[in-house]
Formats: sequence, structure tokens, C-alpha cells
Amino acid sequence: MSYSRYEPPALKNSVDVQLQTAFNDGNWNTAVRLAEKRFKALKDPYYEVIKISAESQLDGTAEKCAVLVAIDKLVKGKTVPDFDTLSLYEWASDGLLHHSDYAQTLGTLRARWVKANPKNPNAVQCLQSCLEYWDLVNAQQIAATMDRAFPNSSDRKYMFWSITLTFLLSISPQCVEATRKLYSQLALKQLERAADITESSPKVEPTDRGLLTEQEFDLYYRVLLTHGTKDEFLRRMQSPRLGALAQLKEGRKNLFWETLGVLEGWGEWDRIFELCREALNLGIQGSTPTFFACDWQVWKKFAVAASKAKNDEAALSEVQGVLDKFVSIKDKATEMYKKNISLTLLETTFRLPTSTLSPNPDHKGSTPRVTQLILFLVNYFDKLSAFDDVKDYVAQLTFEEAKFFMENALPKMLGEEPERVKQVILKALQCKLQYLLTTCPQTLSNHPSVVDGVDQDKPYRCRFCSELASLPCEHCLKKIIVEASETYMEISADSELVGLIPRLDKDPRLDLALVMVNSLLKLGGLRQRGSDVAPSPLRDVDSSLFLQAVLLLDTQLKATPADMGLRLLLVQLYLLLGCVSYAHQIWAPMDVKRTIQDALGPLFFDRISSISPGLFLGGKPLMEPLRHHYSHSLHDACPLRIWDAFSSGSYSSILEMSDYDSKLRRSCTLMMTLVEERQATKCFGGKTELEIDDLPLAENIVDETTLVNKTDYGSFTNLESCHGPPIQDFVRLGPELSNERAHLGFLTEQYLDLLSFKAPKDYKPARPNEVALKERSYLTERLAHLNNSLTNFIHQAETPSRLTGAELTYYTIVSLLSGGLLTGLTTTRTDAVPQTLPLLTAAIRSAFAGLRTVFLTSSNGVSTPPTANIFASLTDMHTMALLRATALAIKHSAAFMLSVHEKELARDRSGKTALHKDILVEMKALDQLAGKALGEIKTHVQKLKTALGEGGWLDRVLEWTFGDEGGEDEVAKAVGEVVGGRGGAEEWAGKLLESWREGVKGWGTVRLE
Amino acid sequence: MANFRRFRPDDLNKLSKCNLDPLTETYELGFYLQYHAKWPSLFQVAEDQHGNIIGYIMGKLESSPDVYQFSEHYLPWHAHITAVTVAPEARRLGIGKLLSEQLEAAADENDAWFVDLFVRSTNHRAIAFYKSMGYSVFRVVKDYYGDHSSDPTQSSEDAFDMRKPTKRDVKREHIRDDGEKYEVDPTDVW
Repeated sequence: MSYSRYEPPALKNSVDVQLQTAFNDGNWNTAVRLAEKRFKALKDPYYEVIKISAESQLDGTAEKCAVLVAIDKLVKGKTVPDFDTLSLYEWASDGLLHHSDYAQTLGTLRARWVKANPKNPNAVQCLQSCLEYWDLVNAQQIAATMDRAFPNSSDRKYMFWSITLTFLLSISPQCVEATRKLYSQLALKQLERAADITESSPKVEPTDRGLLTEQEFDLYYRVLLTHGTKDEFLRRMQSPRLGALAQLKEGRKNLFWETLGVLEGWGEWDRIFELCREALNLGIQGSTPTFFACDWQVWKKFAVAASKAKNDEAALSEVQGVLDKFVSIKDKATEMYKKNISLTLLETTFRLPTSTLSPNPDHKGSTPRVTQLILFLVNYFDKLSAFDDVKDYVAQLTFEEAKFFMENALPKMLGEEPERVKQVILKALQCKLQYLLTTCPQTLSNHPSVVDGVDQDKPYRCRFCSELASLPCEHCLKKIIVEASETYMEISADSELVGLIPRLDKDPRLDLALVMVNSLLKLGGLRQRGSDVAPSPLRDVDSSLFLQAVLLLDTQLKATPADMGLRLLLVQLYLLLGCVSYAHQIWAPMDVKRTIQDALGPLFFDRISSISPGLFLGGKPLMEPLRHHYSHSLHDACPLRIWDAFSSGSYSSILEMSDYDSKLRRSCTLMMTLVEERQATKCFGGKTELEIDDLPLAENIVDETTLVNKTDYGSFTNLESCHGPPIQDFVRLGPELSNERAHLGFLTEQYLDLLSFKAPKDYKPARPNEVALKERSYLTERLAHLNNSLTNFIHQAETPSRLTGAELTYYTIVSLLSGGLLTGLTTTRTDAVPQTLPLLTAAIRSAFAGLRTVFLTSSNGVSTPPTANIFASLTDMHTMALLRATALAIKHSAAFMLSVHEKELARDRSGKTALHKDILVEMKALDQLAGKALGEIKTHVQKLKTALGEGGWLDRVLEWTFGDEGGEDEVAKAVGEVVGGRGGAEEWAGKLLESWREGVKGWGTVRLE
Repeated sequence: MANFRRFRPDDLNKLSKCNLDPLTETYELGFYLQYHAKWPSLFQVAEDQHGNIIGYIMGKLESSPDVYQFSEHYLPWHAHITAVTVAPEARRLGIGKLLSEQLEAAADENDAWFVDLFVRSTNHRAIAFYKSMGYSVFRVVKDYYGDHSSDPTQSSEDAFDMRKPTKRDVKREHIRDDGEKYEVDPTDVW
């Protein structure tokens, strides 16, 4: 566009200098006066347009809105408006006209103008304007008009803009259902025609209407996949001009890449096999750069497809044949491709039918799979990614193979390694693999639940150590900890070795520490949590082992501060401990900012207000960077930078950016940001400026919107096998962000907003009775909607697994409260009390009592002087926070109902419209119950504060961590060695204590009424 | 293990392995999307087996504004490497080299005269890497960076403008053997 949406467009040159100056300088009163004068003198309607536009900048509502009236008049008038008028009105109405109204107003006018002036260069500006408001209806019309005006232009964009917009419209909610099919077919047919031209022409010229650029091809296949048939897609794939292989020969890899994904989705493995083979052979034949198609995914899919073939042995041998060709030339390849080839050898071996594996009769586990693993490790064991590269294969080994691998093959490899520094790297890898195997079920055998009439508490026997075991084997975990600690100390004691570490990819002690930490966490009983297990994350966990894990990781952080996997894990553990201020200190250096916040923000901020609201107190608003990211990125209705993609002819980018934008607007992290901030604000009695559903960032979120969780766990060091959940599922406070939780949080905030709404003091309606009736009707309608939505989400089958136990209670009670309020408002004192009401209040009482009991179980442990029981309280602020939130929701609901009752009594002295006294009695009883719980919270926080103020805390924390001095078991001793014993842990204990104190201090300032 | 492909906006949710590294800058969303929108073939990524991005390169195609056509500092149509990064765990596998080669191929396809990039004059490792790839110093931009990467007492640092000719530059007209002797001001760089 020639002007910014936020700066006024230039006036026509014919306008006199005086008016130009006033307008450009923003002297709006003068501009209005001069424009009016010129209009009267010259009768040129353009001056009236200037006047109306200038008026839009004045303060008066009538003046401001004149432009809307003018636009409306133009729309209804059916005449073609002047282009400059449109530019001026678009600028003037910015901020007054909601973007969703654009299509019916300015968008319509823009399309009308272009239809009348299809060849005018300003048509492009009209298209851009419509796109900025994401008005696809009129943008499509404009693009189609322009395409018709320039049917064989060398500027191919007109044709492809039209097709792209027709397609975008066909998949957009802006498209009315009656025309959706029409637009779908229109986009598809136009592209099919283009594809036919390309297929049948020896050479496509820019003026032809065929497919020419890679972006045009990509667009065709995207549309074909959406609106076409599978047969047509497969047919085109065979085409010597249009197929993926043909494009690959042109140096265009994208279609080939996408096709593999599509075929996999359809289960077309034979076709994948063919395609991969041909693509890889192109490199050998010299039709593409040699290693052009040698991506890991291609090799992997090739091998998987072969293993699914009818004659899998023959197919795998074919894979081997292609692979051999590349092995023979792999010296020419970069390290990355060499590694891909080595991994393919491994993959192919693991794809061979087990019947073809001929184990050594002396060593049942000595199979080609183990041999191939060792061959791979010989080349790559010292690389950072070695463990990740082999872990899935190791997890597939049979027990016999795993035993041979761990007890023969790896020790042999270690024995043959001459370099000391590489020996320790290998030892660290061995520890990681040992840990991995404890998470694999094939290493355990079932053990009878009753032996000799005695119940057995462990269901398995470990096949490695022969001890009775749970999953994982405790004996093996202890052994891993001790061995890892020994290796760790061995390295630290060897100054020559320590001096060599900076030259390595990674300090092997970091790996050893991580293995020890994971083993300690498992040994301590940490497991994945949902609402179906213990309410507090650490309640059933051995606090001593957990604290040892944290201490160990904290100690390692000082040695390897740049390792982000370690840092992320430590942040999670401190959040579980309730040491939020300290967790924040560890989080901050990661500098999670700008674009990556959507994916990484939840790793610190999710549920933060429920653990330590005090963190929100202080200078800079805690979540401002997140909010800024969304406000900035989603400011306009259109996807960010979309016009750049249109003007550059990047059609697949347009589709991808549009999809990304849609998901960002539905981000669970966005909703988390809004909800967490509001909850924290309310904790300290702060006022929220707008109701949550009035916030621009939430304006399009309705119940049917699927909110998307995009949390990035890629940087966690995950030592778990594919047989169980990944590490992040163990160390989170509760289930990750989800559509269900995000909606429940959003709806609950709406409910609370409704309860806290107060009309401005100077609001005195002229007809109070009529207004009161309307208000009550609005309240009823709103409550019915909220109750319906909350109930729907609560009752979805997946919801309990998406929430912590405390959250499930909270949202259930809020849902019941909204139902109770609805019943209250619709039952006057003369009506019979609905039978559902006692059931509803009983359900609230019961759920609330359950939550209160959980809270009291941990809070009763707080005594002076403090005992180990206080640990349960300090690590379960979440339950207390949710109990407080629930109690306040009950109190506010009761207060709201009473206030409606009193207002009705004041309005109608007959009392006919007042609420039913039985309902009021029920609500008052609930209010008392909530009040009592809030009192208990207050007392509890005070007790915690007093207990944390007591002396002897450092010794206490060390005792919790290591047990009685001198009485440490082998595990505690192994950890103690690495962290420098109790002496080395004192500073850490101090930080822990300080952070707990800060957290409780913050809770002391939280409002409880 | 890695795959090389064109960037997709969804990759922004998988950047942690690269962008949590302190040496990698994280930009506003619009910055990444601008490159994806305007020069999609010059924005390439390497991903691991889990879809995590372990390396990426962002580049653009441009020339100096026409108004400078007769200036000695005028830059004809060329590709520019804006950012290239590889995650710590994926280093020493040649991923940076492969990404750069892909961008160079895209530059050739778009008929560019050369590929250029800016690097701190004290970043010897990066300079050696680019030299091994066929880049050479074309000019030194004095005090281009407003800080110094290794000496906190200095308030600025020079940049090397390094170039590699593409197929179009058959006569090698756009590179110099002694570029380190040519010093320019930041104001001469557009």
C-alpha cells in the first residue's frame, strides 16, 4: 500500500496547500473547517470526504462515527466509489470499524471498485487492503477480476493469486456452506487445467497458464490433496513432468518430501518403497547431486517400506543393494550423510525378520543386531547424540541380546579403547544404556503374586540381577547410581582427564549426573500424574531421594551451566519443590523470549500462580513478554507478513502462514498467559481492566475452538525408552496444557468476571425496573451458557486426565456453582425449590470436603519445631491455591446471589421477584463452609511462616536429604561423594530455604476474602 | 541423523535445541515469517528424527537501491546469509556446510552474482569455516557491531563482509583477493 494503515493517505494534488498542510499536520479542526468551505465553494464531493475523514480524528462520538455512516451510504448506494475516497475512509475508520465488519463495508466497496477498474494499477492496493483485514471473500473477487483482466500476462501472479485465494476461501469459515463446494472445485479445476498444460507442453512460457515455478507446483498438490482424489494424486505422481521424481531432478525436493508423508498417511508402503529407491538411485546415476535424497527420513521410510513388503527379505535385500552403492562412495559424503548411511545399516538390520537372525549357539544374544549396534557405536559413541541415535534400537533388543550387549559386547569395546578420555565417555554411555534398559519390560519376568502362601509386594523378577522388582528394578537403579558415582569421581580425581574435557563434545560427568538423577527420581517413586493419583506430586515420593536428585543436579549446573537440558530439568524439579523464586533464577538465563515463548513459556509459567503468586509481585510484570509476543504477532486480523508472501509469489508459504496464524490465535500458551495473569492479579486484590472474553486476544475463542498445545520438550534429556512416558511427564506438576484445561480456565474466568461485575457508580438508568428485568434476563442467559459449557467440558471423557486432582475439583465446583446460581435466579420465592438443588449443593459440599481433606492432610503436618511433615506442605501449595480459589468462587457466588436478592427486594417491595429463601439458606451455608476453609488457609500460611522462621533449618534440610549423619545408605553415600558431602550441600540448603521463605511470604500477602 | 528441507512456520515450535544456545539470537515472529514469505527457498532447516530443528539458515536475495547504482559500494543482485546456526549436539557433522550449500544452490537458481555474509572480525572459527567453503573477505566494515564479543573495554567491532561467487560470476568480478585492505564505513553498507 502507498500509505500505512495508521498514517493518513496523501490528499489529491488538486487540494490547496492550506488544506493539505492542516490535514498533514493533524490540525483536524482546521482541516474540517477548510474542507467544508471548499466543498461548499467547489461542490466537489471529495472535499466532503476529507471533511468526514478529518472529523473522525476529533473527540466527539458523532463526528467520529460520521465516517461509518458515510461508508454505509456508499455500500447501499451501489455506485462505484472514488479510489481516493476509499483510501481516506479506510484510514478514517481504523479503530472504529471492527475487522469482522470490513467484508460487508469497505471490502465490498474495494471489490466493486476493482470490478469497474480491473486494469487499474490501484487494484493491487485494493487486494492488499482486503487481505490486511483478512477479508477473503472480497480478496478472492478482486483477484479473480484481475486474473480475468490479464489472462495471459507475463506476471503470473494474478492467476495464482486468484487460485490461492479461491482455495483459502474454500477452507475458511468465511465461506458460506452453499458456495464452499463451488470454490473448492474452482480452485482445483483451474490448477488441473494448468497441470494439463504443463504436462502436454514441451516448454511452459511465463505467459502460459501452466505450472512453472516450484511454488506453483506446491500449490497444485496442496489443493489436490485437499479437494481432489487420491487416484488423481497418484496418477500425477507418475507423470514425467509433474511427479515428485521429475521435480527432484529439477532440484526441487519439497514435493518429494511432502509426498512421502502423504503416502505414509495412506499406508501406501509399496509406493513409498518405489519412490525412495528411485530417488536414491537418481543420486547414484548423477541425475541429482549424489546425496541429495540421502535424508534420514528417506532411508528410514525405505527400510520400513521394505519390511512391510510381501516379500520383505527380497525388498530388504534391495535396500541393502542401494545402501551398498552409497557405502562404496561414502568417503565423498559429509559426516552427516555418512552417519545417515551408518544408521540405515542399523535400521535395515533391525528390520530383518527375526527368523533370519542366526544367533551364536554359545551366546544366544550375539546376533547381527548387536554386532551392528557395536559397529555403529565404534564410530559414533563419542558424539553428543550417540545415545539418542541408538536408544530406540537398544530398547528393541531381546533380553538375551541386551544381556550380551551390556555384559559382553560393550565391555569388550571398552577394553579395546586405548584412549583414557574415550573410555570414560563410553562408561558414561554404558550407564545411560543401563538406565534405559531398566525402563524396558523385557528385562523383567513376572513373579507370582503369592509364594508359599505369602503375598509378594513386587510383581517382577529382574532378569539382569535376579532380584524381585517393580518396574523399574530398584536394585539395578541403585547399582547404576553407585557405578555412575564411581566413574564421576574417577574422572574428577584425574587432573589430566579433567584437562581434556573442554575438547570433548560434552563433559561425561554431565551424562553421569543425569543418569544418577533419573535413577534417584525413579527410585524415589516419582511417576506420571493425573487427577487419578496422589494429589500432591511429591506426597508419595521419598523426599530424601528426591532432594538428593535436586542437589546433584544443582551441583552439576555449576560445572556445566550451558547445558540447557539440565537447566530445564532442574527448573521442573524446583517447581515441584515449591522453590519458585529459585526456579526462576535458573530459568532466566535461558533467555526464552520473543517467538520461542509460545512453545517454551509453559515449561516455567504453567500453573505458576497456583504455586507462588508472590512471584508476580515486584517491578516488571512477570508475563509481560509473553503478552507482548501475542499482542504484537496477532495485532492485525491477517497473518503476519502475509502480503510479503503474496507479492513474492510464495503460494505454499501463504497456506502455511495462514495455518500457523490460525494455530497461534488458538494457542493454549496464549490462554495460559491470560488466565495466569488474571489469577495472580486477583490474588492481590488487583482489578482486571477488561473481562477476559473482551480481551482482543481472546475475542474469537468459543467452545468449539480447539485450543492447541505446542509445548516444545525437544531440549529435555530423555533417557526413558519408548515403552513408557518421557521424562517431562514425570517432572511436571500435573498434566500438560490441553484444550480442555484451557477452556475450563477461560470459562471459569468468565464466570468470575460475571460475579464481580459492578456497574459504574454514575450509571443511573432512566427506567430502573425495565433495566433490572433485562439485566436479570441477561444474567440468566449468560449463566445458562456458562453452565452448559463448563458442564460439557467437565464431562468430556478425557478431562480428568488433563487436570490435577485439585483442578478437577475446582472446575467441577465452579460448574456446579454456575448451575446453582442459574437455579437461584430462575426460582422466585413463590416457586417450589427444584429437586436438583439439594443434589447440587450436596455435590459441592462433598467435592469441597474432599479437597479440604487433602489440604488438611498436609497442613496438619506443620508444627513448631518443624518436622519432616512440613515438606509435604511446602511442596503442595497447588492444592492450597485451588482450595482458596474454590472457596472464593463459592463465597463470591453466594454474595452475588444475596446481592441479586437484595436488589430485587429493594426494587419490588412485594418480594415476589426476590429469590427463594431455601436457596439463600443453602448458599449461606456454603459460604460459611468456604469461610472456614479460608480461615484454615490463613492459619496454615501463618504456621508455615513461623515454622520457616525457626532455627536449625540447614541441618534439617540436610537431614531430610541424607538421613542421620553417619547413617547414609549406599545411594546417599554415592550422591554425597559427587556433591562434596553435607558440607558441600549447605549453600544449596540455604537457597532452598530462602526460596521457600519467599514463596510463603508471598502467600502471606494473598487476599483471602 | 538429520533431514534437510525447506522451513515451515510450525518449525518455530521446535527451535529449542538451536535457540536456547546463547550464541543463537531469537527474533520476533515477523522476522522469521518475512524470510519464509519472501525467500522460502533460502530458508532451510535440518531436523532430527523427532522433528526438532537442529540447524537452520536464513537468507535473502537483494540488490542495493537503484539510487546507488553508480556508487562504488553498489551491490548487484546477490544472496545474503542473514543467520546460520547449528545446535550444539549436531555440530561437527557438516550441517552448517550443507545448509550453506543449499542456499548457494538457491542463489544460483535465482541468478545471483554472489552470496555474502557479515561476520565479526574476531570470530576466527567462523571465518575459517567460511573460507573453507570458498568465501573470501571482500571488505572490512569498520565498527559495524556496537559491542565487542571478546573485549569489554571496546565499544565496537569490525565486520568482515565475506563473499563467494556464484555460477553467474564467471569472470570472478565480484570478489577480491585482498579484501581485508578495503575498509568502509557502516554508512556505506545498505
